[in-house]
Amino acid sequence: MREVLIVAGMALVTYATRYTMIAALGRKAALPGRPEGRSLLRAWLRYVPPAVLAALIVPPVVAPQGQVAVGVPLWATLVAAVIAWRTRNVFWTILVGMSVLWVLRGLGV
Amino acid sequence: MRDFRRGLLATLPLAPGVIAFGLLYGMMARQIGLNPWGAWAMSLIVHAGSAQFTALSMWQASGAIPIVLTTLVVNLRHLLMGASIAPYLRGLPSAWKALLALWMSDESYALAIAEYRHGAGGRCYFFGANVGIYLAWSSSGLLGALLGAAIPDPRRIGLDLVFPLAFLGLLSTLLDDRVGVGVALASGALALAGMFLLPGKWYVIVAGLVGSALGVLLEKAEERCVKS
Repeated sequence: MREVLIVAGMALVTYATRYTMIAALGRKAALPGRPEGRSLLRAWLRYVPPAVLAALIVPPVVAPQGQVAVGVPLWATLVAAVIAWRTRNVFWTILVGMSVLWVLRGLGV
Repeated sequence: MRDFRRGLLATLPLAPGVIAFGLLYGMMARQIGLNPWGAWAMSLIVHAGSAQFTALSMWQASGAIPIVLTTLVVNLRHLLMGASIAPYLRGLPSAWKALLALWMSDESYALAIAEYRHGAGGRCYFFGANVGIYLAWSSSGLLGALLGAAIPDPRRIGLDLVFPLAFLGLLSTLLDDRVGVGVALASGALALAGMFLLPGKWYVIVAGLVGSALGVLLEKAEERCVKS
C-alpha cells in the first residue's frame, strides 16, 4: 500500500510540474500577438532553453564526483564543444566526445 | 507521421545512456526491496530518472510524504522547460498539450525545443521524441528489475557523459548570437556555483532563471548600444 501511495504521489507531482506552465502559457490569451512578437516575457522565454541546457551540462562535466576535477570528462567535453560549434550536430558531438573519453581512459590519463 | 518518426529517430544517439541508467535503476529498485512490477510501474507512470533514483535512495529511511515532496522539488525544473516550450504549443487542443506534457523529459524537451527554434518543430516531432525516450527508459527499467543481478554501473564506463554531450550538441544549435553565448556561459557558471551552495537540483532552476533574466538585460543593453 505504501508503495502504491508513493508511486502515485510521485506521478502526480511530476505531471503537475510538466503540465502547469504548458497549460498556463500555452493559451493564446497568455501570450497575445504573433509568436515572433516582442515582449519582456517572450524575450525571457527565448533565453530559458540555453540557460537550462547550460545548467544541465556544466556541473556533471566539471565536477562529476561533486568536487571540481580537471579530468578526462572535462577534456572530452571541451573537444566535443569544438565539434558542436563546427558541426552543430548532436550525433557527432556525442560520438567524438565519447571516443575521446574512452581513448583517454584507455591511455590511462 | 514523418515528423513522428524524425522525433523518434532523433532520440537514438541518447538511447545507450538512457538504457544504461534504466537498467541500473531497475537493479537498484530490486536491491532496496521493490518487486519487479513495482519498479516497472514507477518507470511507466512517473518517468523521471533523477527523481526515481532520489526516491530509491530515500525509500527505506523516509516516509511517503518526504519522498513525494522531494520528487516535486527535483522536478521543478520542468516548470522552466514547460514555460519555454509553451508558446510553440499555442493553438493545440488541450488533449495534445496534456499528452505532450505527460512524457516530456529533459532529453526530449531539448530535442523538441531545438527543432521548434529552427522552425522545423511540431507536435508530432515532440511526441516522437517523448515516445523514444519513454520506451528506452521504461523497457530498460523492467529489464534491469528482472535481471536484478550485477549490472555494471554506467558511470564506470563513462556513459553518464552521453547526456551533457547531447545537451551540448543541442545547445550549439540554439546559440545564434552573442547574447545567447553569454547566457549559456553565465548559466553554466551559476549552475556550478549553485551545485555547491544549494541542495539537490535547485541549481538548475536558479541558473535557468537568473541566466535567462541576464539574457533579457544583455539584449536591452545591446539594443541601446546599437541605437546610440
